[in-house]
Amino acid sequence: MKLIAGVDIGNSTTEVCVGSVGEDGSFRFLSGASRVTTGTKGTLSNVHGIRVALEDAMYSIHQPLSALDLVRLNEAAPVIGDTAMETITETIITESSMIGHNPSTPAGAGEAVGYLLFLENIWKGKPGVPYIVVASSKFSYEETAARLNQRIPELDIRGLILQADEAVLVENRLNKEIPIIDEVRHISRVPEEKLAAIEVALPGTSVRMLSNPYGIATLLGLNAEETRMVTPIAKSLIGKRSAVVIRTPNGNVRENILPAGEIFFHGEREEQVSIDAGADDIMDVLQKSGEIRDINGQRDTNVGNMFERIKASMLDVAQTQDHEVRITDILAVDTLAPVEISGSLAGETCMEKAVGIAAMVRTQHLPMQKIAERLEQELHVKAVVAGVEAVMASLGAMTTPGTRLPLAVLDMGGGSTDAAVLEPDGSVRTTHQAGAGELVSMLIQTELGLESRGEAEQIKKYPMGKVESLFHMRLENGSMRFFEESIDPRYYGHVVLLAKNEMIRIEEDIPMEKILEVRREAKKKVFVRNALRALAQVAPGHDLRKIPNVVLVGGSAEDFEIPEMLTEALAEYRIVCGRGNIRGTEGPRNAVATGLLMSYLTEAGRDR
Amino acid sequence: MVVNKPTIIIYTQEADEDLLREICAGIEEEGVLYEIRPREGGLDQLAYEAARESMLGSGIGITGQRIAMQMERLPEGRNVFELDHPRFWQCRNLGSNSARAVKKMPFKPVYGQEEIRE
Repeated sequence: MKLIAGVDIGNSTTEVCVGSVGEDGSFRFLSGASRVTTGTKGTLSNVHGIRVALEDAMYSIHQPLSALDLVRLNEAAPVIGDTAMETITETIITESSMIGHNPSTPAGAGEAVGYLLFLENIWKGKPGVPYIVVASSKFSYEETAARLNQRIPELDIRGLILQADEAVLVENRLNKEIPIIDEVRHISRVPEEKLAAIEVALPGTSVRMLSNPYGIATLLGLNAEETRMVTPIAKSLIGKRSAVVIRTPNGNVRENILPAGEIFFHGEREEQVSIDAGADDIMDVLQKSGEIRDINGQRDTNVGNMFERIKASMLDVAQTQDHEVRITDILAVDTLAPVEISGSLAGETCMEKAVGIAAMVRTQHLPMQKIAERLEQELHVKAVVAGVEAVMASLGAMTTPGTRLPLAVLDMGGGSTDAAVLEPDGSVRTTHQAGAGELVSMLIQTELGLESRGEAEQIKKYPMGKVESLFHMRLENGSMRFFEESIDPRYYGHVVLLAKNEMIRIEEDIPMEKILEVRREAKKKVFVRNALRALAQVAPGHDLRKIPNVVLVGGSAEDFEIPEMLTEALAEYRIVCGRGNIRGTEGPRNAVATGLLMSYLTEAGRDR
Repeated sequence: MVVNKPTIIIYTQEADEDLLREICAGIEEEGVLYEIRPREGGLDQLAYEAARESMLGSGIGITGQRIAMQMERLPEGRNVFELDHPRFWQCRNLGSNSARAVKKMPFKPVYGQEEIRE
């Protein structure tokens, strides 16, 4: 009996599968494992990840690594994916500063205009001049209130900005009703003596005056030109419960608009499109230009810089093969990205139109042979490169119960979406498209303004709930879940992700509905579009209706909602489409690794 | 005793006045009402009974420099937060949290280091 392993190196994960072959050719699958791919796919650093995955798979059948007789690597699809995002419009630098935030408890209501005056300098205040007082947290609420009360009879105090979270406490002790904004962390950045307007919204509403360019113009006395330049500030204050706009006329006024730029497609036809046109137009032009040799962007523009970055990040793969990096496919999607407002005192952002792009680089041949050699040295087990990825995936997918030929396989991984059609005569047509799971994570991260990509990954992977009391949470589908043991108070009032054995708290204060919408839209934008694009490419006569069934495999097919989205979208074309179930047990993972083992049988059969 | 005002109840036993004042400031800033009453008993018992008798289902127990926050239907001894000889900011945030429990808002940090302000 021989032990054989199939290894599939993907952009994000490395899958292995171990099976035994008896002397009589009888065959059994024993175990499988999955590990994060180490390094860029197709480089020698992959060996480490392969080794760990193999150890995993062997461990679960209580065998040492040395018991393996043969390792079969796939001839990985020679494509590597990457993602990038660029805003289309550049924000204008204005001559005003602003603070816009949502303190949970501001006090008072309405708007006020006055000159900024620090509490420690209140003795400098002159009667008859309107003031907005600024107090740092070194003053207690009692002290702030006492000092103000003392001066209120003589000074015209219109409003108050506090560093500490004490607006209500001060208001309750103040002899005059004024709008009070609190929780302004970077109070030292507030410029004294400048004219400022502050606004606190009525409970349950958001600011009205300061989110309106003409409102700011009215309060601060701006002319038409100045009003135009203050518009980004007004826009970024929409929906806030409180806001401060400070007029800083000495700020360097310059309008700095970096052009968005053109994308150039070098294909059967030379085409170009402005990135301003949006994702749909970009994709149309891409299709018009036929088979692509390379794609790049106009120099010194946003999009030019974006393509430069993508190419630079893929250089390490190219260098090992000594040829230039050429982008052969992109997927563009419309999105929104937070852009920092110049003049913001606490890093406030506003959402700007942006385009997210996944790009795919076709390489000559990934140096799989070198990986096989290194693996052989390290593990002392024979390793060979066997079979093309798409063919292996089709073979593996065929083990899904209920399928028949011709069979289309849609392999949705991290970096690329690959499709293949396996005809009854054994011929296979394949295609690789840019854009898959990693683009979805990037869209989620930018649209929700998350700190880390990791958190976006988790939002992509798990359903959510909101902890409404210590004994129950409301799930994203509206149902309630009750707990016998009280939930850890750290989760109270938070949106949490329901991972397998734990809850993951979302740190940012974003409503569950918003997260849900962004997550679903991101998945639809990437996967539904790419599935249709890829299947049309491999379908007989490019006619989707000629494909009877589609099996979804790869990491993204494990997702809890993407397969359903595709089943729905493809039902329009009368295609049977669903998540694969490799060998009837593995789910959509492990198709390629399984295919590698199966192809060994055919080869061995031929040899006999 | 029947309590029918919508308040957070604070049961105290020889409470440290400075800590108590910070707790009350935390509740006041959140805009919720509170009542302070002296009562005999252990820390867990005070907090438990305060939460049970509060119409809002949120209560605090203080003995000397020890503080516990409780919410209704949690068993006695399973305090949501518990502090011993705390710093002022911890008391302030614990007070805020007893109000946030009523408002169903996420809690502020009570343990660890104070956030550094610029």
